[in-house]
Amino acid sequence: MEWIIIPDKKPDTHVEHIYREKTDKRILKRNPWRDVRLHGTVLVLVIIAELIGTIKIPITKDVAITIMPLIYTIILGLAFYLIKPIKWIHRKQARIAEGAMMLFIGVLIAKLAISSGQSIGLIFEMGPALILQEIGHLATILVLPIALLLGFKKEAIGMTNSIGREPNVAVVVDKYGFNSPESRGVFAIFIIGTVIGTIFISFLVTFSLSFLPLHPYAFAMASGVGSASMNAAAIGPTLAAFPGMETQIEAFAGFSNLLSFCVGIYIVIFIALPLTERVYDWLEPKIGRDSIMPEKEDDNNA
Amino acid sequence: MPDLIDSSENVSVHGIFNWILLLFIFSVITAVGNFLGYHHPIEGSLIGMAILSFITLIGVWLERYVPLDISSILYISVIGIIVAFPGMPTSEFVLKYVSQIELLAIVTVFLAYVGIGMGKSWDEFKALGWRAIVITVLVIAATYYGAAIVAHIVLVLTGVPAV
Repeated sequence: MEWIIIPDKKPDTHVEHIYREKTDKRILKRNPWRDVRLHGTVLVLVIIAELIGTIKIPITKDVAITIMPLIYTIILGLAFYLIKPIKWIHRKQARIAEGAMMLFIGVLIAKLAISSGQSIGLIFEMGPALILQEIGHLATILVLPIALLLGFKKEAIGMTNSIGREPNVAVVVDKYGFNSPESRGVFAIFIIGTVIGTIFISFLVTFSLSFLPLHPYAFAMASGVGSASMNAAAIGPTLAAFPGMETQIEAFAGFSNLLSFCVGIYIVIFIALPLTERVYDWLEPKIGRDSIMPEKEDDNNA
Repeated sequence: MPDLIDSSENVSVHGIFNWILLLFIFSVITAVGNFLGYHHPIEGSLIGMAILSFITLIGVWLERYVPLDISSILYISVIGIIVAFPGMPTSEFVLKYVSQIELLAIVTVFLAYVGIGMGKSWDEFKALGWRAIVITVLVIAATYYGAAIVAHIVLVLTGVPAV
């Protein structure tokens, strides 16, 4: 990804997420395995989480919210970083965790791929649904009017053309330039998605499983949103809701995430972005508000 | 952190060594979680994790050595699908051990690292304001429901029974 030129002024730190090279350097130079504090903490978090186990909170007779160990580890992990009295998890540990995470995605993907390989016949059978549901991701453009009503301008194009993960950030930055409002928009979605996306989607899926009478395979396919961590968080409740269908659900979830990753990017480039621009040009004069974005992106919380 | 801003460093044996050790740590933690949460024996889990780690290692190695701009995720997926393909000589061995590892055990460990790693983005996150948070939440929901509803319609139209 060398085509993303780092600007002369110090770039915002969040941009580093999209640089594979930086992750490499972090992993290569730091002897990351030696960081006992980080890995020890993770081990403790996992032990705590697995010992607590899954908790089901019944809301009504048929509806229950399932809280799974994966939610405990992600929230505790974040809490350990943020809570001051915990002294041994610092920025350094977070950087290593982030670098290591890029490697561990591979293990997750490998497990899903093995489920896909095992069920390859079923995947071909469900081919039409798997491919067409990728088009369903275009639904993000429906959020554009709301972004306009909230006072975003061109930022809204970057915000609503896709789910705004790494590949989407790269596409938007490539097309509009690093300092464009569109890129600011996609960066905002990226950062917020990084912090709350995983937790949010896990609850979203839990609720949807209770309230929406959709096909189990549809839930499995939909969890492949194009982000490994959100994919992981979305599969959890889905697996719990349909016991006995683990292999199929993993197969569809994994394959759909793979499709989101390799086909989804072209859908964004050739369909989603041009379409978002069209809708923007059409709607902006009608419902656009005064921009709430200051010239420099420092505070839009006015 | 000036020590890691260096002009260029290529993947070396040292790097692969680091990858292996990281994957080893990840495997051990996952095996512990897999035992505590799902009562699968540690030995089987470790062999299964070794298989997954090995596939990962090949994938990340190929990504950096093959002069094509192909992500490791793609390599890993293809290798994973092939080794588990019904009828492949590897599939019986691979499935025997990998099936002992619950996906959720991997996810739980993975998300612990994600949680610690995302703490770093917290200050930027706070600076972005509620409007951007509203949009992000809606965008994620729209992606999910868009895909779920389209998939459901296609599945119903093609007559797939709701098992």
